[in-house]
Amino acid sequence: MNAPATPKYAAYVCSGCGIGDKLDVPTLEKIAQKEGKMALVKSHPFLCNAEGVQMIRDDIANDGVTHLCIAACSRRAKAEAFSFPTAAVSRANLREGVIWVVAEGSEHDEVRQEMAEDYVRMGCAEVKKMKVPGGNVKESSSKKILVVGGGLSGMTAALAAAEAGYEVALVEKSGALGGFATNLWKRVPFAAPYADAQPVGAAELAAKVSANPKIKVHLNSTVTETAGAPGRFAVKIAQESGSVAEELCGSIVQATGFTTYDINKLPELGGGQANVVDQAGLEALAKAADGGPIKRADGKEVKSVVFVQCAGQRDTTGQHLAYCSGHCCATSIKQATYFKDQNPDIDTVVMYQDLRVPGMGEDFYRSAQDKGVIFTKGKASKVTGGDGCKVDFKDLILNEGASIDADLVVLATGQVPNAGVNLDEWTATVTAAESGDEAAKIKKGELQKISVLNLDYRQGPDMPQFKYGFADSHFICFPYETRRTGIYAAGPTRRPMDMLQATEDATGAALKAIQAVENVEKGRAAHPRAWDLSFPTARLEGCTQCKRCTVECPFGAIDEDEKRFPKFNEERCRRCGTCMGACPVRVISFENYSCDTVGMQIKAVNIPDEFEEKPRILILACENDAYPALDMAGIQRLSYSAFVRAIPVRCLGSVNTIWITDALNSGYDGVMMMGCKKGDDYQCHFVKGSEMAFYRMSKIDDTLKQLGLETERVQTLEVAITDNARVVKLINEYVDQIKEIGLSPMKGFG
Amino acid sequence: MSASIATSQTILVVGGGISGMTAALEAAECGKQVILAEKLPTLGGRTALLYRYFPKMCHPTCGLEINLKRLKGNPKLRVMTMTEVAAVSGSRGDYTVTLKVKPRYVTEACTACGDCGNAVSAEIPNPANYGLDRIKAAYLPHGMAYPQRYVIDPTIVGTPEGEKAKAACKAGAVDLAMQEETVELKVGSVVWATGWRPYDAAKIQPYGYGRIPNVVTSLEFERMADPHGPTSGRLLRADGKEAKNVAFIQCAGSRDENHLRHCSRICCMASLKQTHYVREACGEEGKSTIYYIDIRAIDRFEDFYQSVQNDPTVTFVKSKVARIAFNEQTGNPVLHGVDTEGYKRYATEHDLVVLAVGMEPEVTGVKLPEDIVLDSSNFIEGSKSGGMFGAGSAASPLDVNRSVQSATAASLKAIQVIHKTASTEAA
Amino acid sequence: MTTANQTAIAKYKNSFLKEVEANVEEGHWVRMCMQCGVCAGSCPLGNAWAHPPQELFMMIRAGKREEVLASDSMWMCTSCYNCIVRCPRKLPITHIMHGLANYAHRLGIAPKGQPTRETATLFWNNLIKKGRVNELTFSLALYFKDGFVQGIKNALNMQAVGLGLVKARRLNPMEILGGHGVKDQAGFKAMIEKARQIEDRKKGFAK
Repeated sequence: MNAPATPKYAAYVCSGCGIGDKLDVPTLEKIAQKEGKMALVKSHPFLCNAEGVQMIRDDIANDGVTHLCIAACSRRAKAEAFSFPTAAVSRANLREGVIWVVAEGSEHDEVRQEMAEDYVRMGCAEVKKMKVPGGNVKESSSKKILVVGGGLSGMTAALAAAEAGYEVALVEKSGALGGFATNLWKRVPFAAPYADAQPVGAAELAAKVSANPKIKVHLNSTVTETAGAPGRFAVKIAQESGSVAEELCGSIVQATGFTTYDINKLPELGGGQANVVDQAGLEALAKAADGGPIKRADGKEVKSVVFVQCAGQRDTTGQHLAYCSGHCCATSIKQATYFKDQNPDIDTVVMYQDLRVPGMGEDFYRSAQDKGVIFTKGKASKVTGGDGCKVDFKDLILNEGASIDADLVVLATGQVPNAGVNLDEWTATVTAAESGDEAAKIKKGELQKISVLNLDYRQGPDMPQFKYGFADSHFICFPYETRRTGIYAAGPTRRPMDMLQATEDATGAALKAIQAVENVEKGRAAHPRAWDLSFPTARLEGCTQCKRCTVECPFGAIDEDEKRFPKFNEERCRRCGTCMGACPVRVISFENYSCDTVGMQIKAVNIPDEFEEKPRILILACENDAYPALDMAGIQRLSYSAFVRAIPVRCLGSVNTIWITDALNSGYDGVMMMGCKKGDDYQCHFVKGSEMAFYRMSKIDDTLKQLGLETERVQTLEVAITDNARVVKLINEYVDQIKEIGLSPMKGFG
Repeated sequence: MSASIATSQTILVVGGGISGMTAALEAAECGKQVILAEKLPTLGGRTALLYRYFPKMCHPTCGLEINLKRLKGNPKLRVMTMTEVAAVSGSRGDYTVTLKVKPRYVTEACTACGDCGNAVSAEIPNPANYGLDRIKAAYLPHGMAYPQRYVIDPTIVGTPEGEKAKAACKAGAVDLAMQEETVELKVGSVVWATGWRPYDAAKIQPYGYGRIPNVVTSLEFERMADPHGPTSGRLLRADGKEAKNVAFIQCAGSRDENHLRHCSRICCMASLKQTHYVREACGEEGKSTIYYIDIRAIDRFEDFYQSVQNDPTVTFVKSKVARIAFNEQTGNPVLHGVDTEGYKRYATEHDLVVLAVGMEPEVTGVKLPEDIVLDSSNFIEGSKSGGMFGAGSAASPLDVNRSVQSATAASLKAIQVIHKTASTEAA
Repeated sequence: MTTANQTAIAKYKNSFLKEVEANVEEGHWVRMCMQCGVCAGSCPLGNAWAHPPQELFMMIRAGKREEVLASDSMWMCTSCYNCIVRCPRKLPITHIMHGLANYAHRLGIAPKGQPTRETATLFWNNLIKKGRVNELTFSLALYFKDGFVQGIKNALNMQAVGLGLVKARRLNPMEILGGHGVKDQAGFKAMIEKARQIEDRKKGFAK
């Protein structure tokens, strides 16, 4: 975007919603003009109404206004009305942040007005340091989508993207498309009446994929290198034969599926013995029977079969899989009907602890019961294979030990994700290898072989994995969010799932991949800041090559160049600012969010002399959770102290310690940092931001001591978006605590 | 709005809950033109009325805030609230949709300052708390409401109360003469993300909901646990007593051919989650008992089930409760049934009984376009013409994570439709 | 052990469920039970049952033939239909209970001296004599089923009720002489015989 040569600053103070009644608006205007150095200052009785907005638009169009500070309501309110895409805009929150939270009554008039004046000063200071982000539009970017894995999920994703008009490169390591689905005799029904097992349709899908002119299929191939970033992934695809193809792709869907849990690890359940098979083994027998009587490996017709659910799953001993694979109950039900459909006289027993067939699976369960499948709530303790198999179990309903004889026993084992290299293992190995450990060097090579994507990222060759090795998202609301921008997992590599879910999952992942290439083309960020055109830049001349930014970036966006300077891959960046918070020499900034935009706000606050007994407390609040909680305290008209000054930050991870030391040096009496929950159930949408902030602040005590300040003067808190009542309590208690400790001795030196 | 904005390149998403918002946002962030129509005065749907999500125990409004921010920053997406689909005609790629927009009696000039609410004295049952408390008849649906605009309840329009609201509004945003409007749109594809409603617990006669005090639904319990709810987050019974010994009855309506024949999937996890609320409120003194048939903590949720099983304050009884009686002396409901694991009869008193009510598609009993294909439980399977899709819990009983997954998939299916239409038109 | 029982054991070997499905009224529903236990909890006489319906169904599936058929549980059913109304799988539980009792009775392995069974037997035997239940002889048969002394005691206990009924002309003392029957006695007998043949054929008792 071409900014006009000379910036022109304007401030608009709204007097609506009671602002004019509670505050001295002419004084605020004067402050914006004199202290804020705004060239143009206006007030309006309803700034957000059509007339007020038009006034601002006219000033931009006719008066050359480029930067504006809107002193009205919270930035979360009236966002559409106050959207001026060509101008830099700051918001001074006089409504939710001042008049709605400062206690009623004339005795509070003075502190209320001071608070509002500070917010006007801060808004003006901020906007002066802001630029309108132009987006990092690249002259060319690839919109081709790479799909890794040619099973049901991969084929579905490829076709879904192709049918929306996108080119696809599909890489499958085996010699044919189809994946695990080709091993199946039939599948669980996807639609009403949910009565009978259905044809799998994998071959038909494979034929459709092969015939689609937008899809290029690479068989017998693996990805040996993925370099670059969304919009410009340079992918090397090696064939078994040794030839290497190269594809330039915009985004990636990883649909590498699962491996069945090794039945031999379950000797107590007969794993490894004759006529004890897993579900995949039963599919093979059913395929061989081709609709006729199902025969065992020894050729004997199966007249009785027992399905043992949760074999090596839901394990609490730590030996096997702790999770449930979700699909196995329905799969066993389906397999039991293979027998019943062929010959109703075959005894089929499904032995379960909790039968997990949610949704319409209940119809399928009923249908199998109707066909005569027996369901026994029991826990198998021992399976004996051989010519006559035997299952010893505890019948949980009849509350007694029992056993069943059968010709065949099927163990419902779980799904183990094919998610590539575990990055923790990788990092440890690389560190050891770099320090000369020969064994580690060999291990590194082995890890590279099992890698799915072979990313050339500094942070390792695959996506970070979550518990149990799944490449899942941590978020409930955003199931596709990974920590590698533009790379999305789909199907059972992401979480255990059945075929219906994998189909939907793959379709959704294809959308995200499409979105990623569209965002890159427009120079925008990816989720959760898709609208954001800003991106980080570094003044490399000031860089000390400390590598903190590269290490701390939660998304692996920063590499190192050949001179060991950080190399920003904007397309991988989510714009959280964790790098900015990490940088000890403050050389990283965004056009509209930087050490300066926040630092100048901190400095703009008027710090009263010590004898005035008016403490000043800085709040740095995560704009997604803590700041809305403060807003909602206002909406509910809860009161908190007028001594605080709140600044929203993109993420607590973007907080640079310089802000804290600057604030303390200039006489603030305390700093409250409010971020999202960290730890296993972290709620930080930038994954590590809040954790980083806590880590950094754990080290600030020394700084405080050097300054001769009490450690209580900096607080780091976890605040949830629903904490509006709690946040009020926290603030008020902290103000009392600060009063008790005494005001900062640093006042007057700032 | 005028019909001319929408074209066959537009996607209409019906329903502004988490699924609808997701479907709309995902398509809009792919660069498509989207209209999001919501029946109620605010987006957010049913998840906005949940206190926490399983299994992370995080807050639904956190994700809502992000989605609202995505929405505010996206010019491709247009939101219409208080809007219902009256009719759909046409075919894949070329639908004509008739929308009915109910009057809010408050214009876009509203600043949500709250003056109208302060001015009126009439009250209505609070829809955000399932009517467990009352709010003013000029109200903001809840703290996270979007659009952040007040609503005047129709019951006070044409009364002196309505006039009070109008007089109080300094922004001149109250318009009591507002009428229902009909809007016709051309769209290429429709995503139905109409969601679910709790099954009417009163229909489960032996459980006495509505007759026996201190029998509540899981959704009401969700509001009780929420600090923004009617009891400010305390687990208080109607008689003011704190509920410490809480029973959760699973499959209240679900897996039952007399009620809902499907399993509603979420209820096991929801009750496991709600045992945390009891623990939060009462600590070691709290006691939760889950009466269940099968605990369907599917796939990775097993962890959560394990952790609740390890909580000594939580007991599991494998039993579908037969009936609830009432102890007049204690005010406690008494649960009667049989623990099927070894046949043990029980008659157990609890302070409060939470019915884990099933999910009924919100479209049950609603006249839908002929084209829509429903399954035996009224979930939307798709459309005969192939250009309309179900998403989220309108399509299947799903939890939030899977609803979002489903909505993202539906969004791409809608994009495929308009892509095909565009390629045909271009050819 | 009767021949009928031995035949059934031989025929169904280890699958008691199949035997029940084939021979017990509504027995094919047993497979549809999902073990929720609502029937067990809903039964007003539940306390008197050794095995509630849901458990009986599980025992049938587990092949516990003797325990089920010799059980007095299903004889406790009073046909209140609570279980049927509440069963989420719509199993006709009441009918299955009666079916099981009837089947056990036919096989001759139902519990001896079980009051419901004895009463039902007396009722049936009384009924098929003339096609009508003779209330007087039926009542007396019930009074005296546990011996003469107990019978006199029972009769004396019920004396007031009996006289009241006679006074109100609801009970004719002359019925003790045999009483009246349905018009076409021969036809009635033929009908009962035919019904028995059909049932025997269906349930495997046909000779």
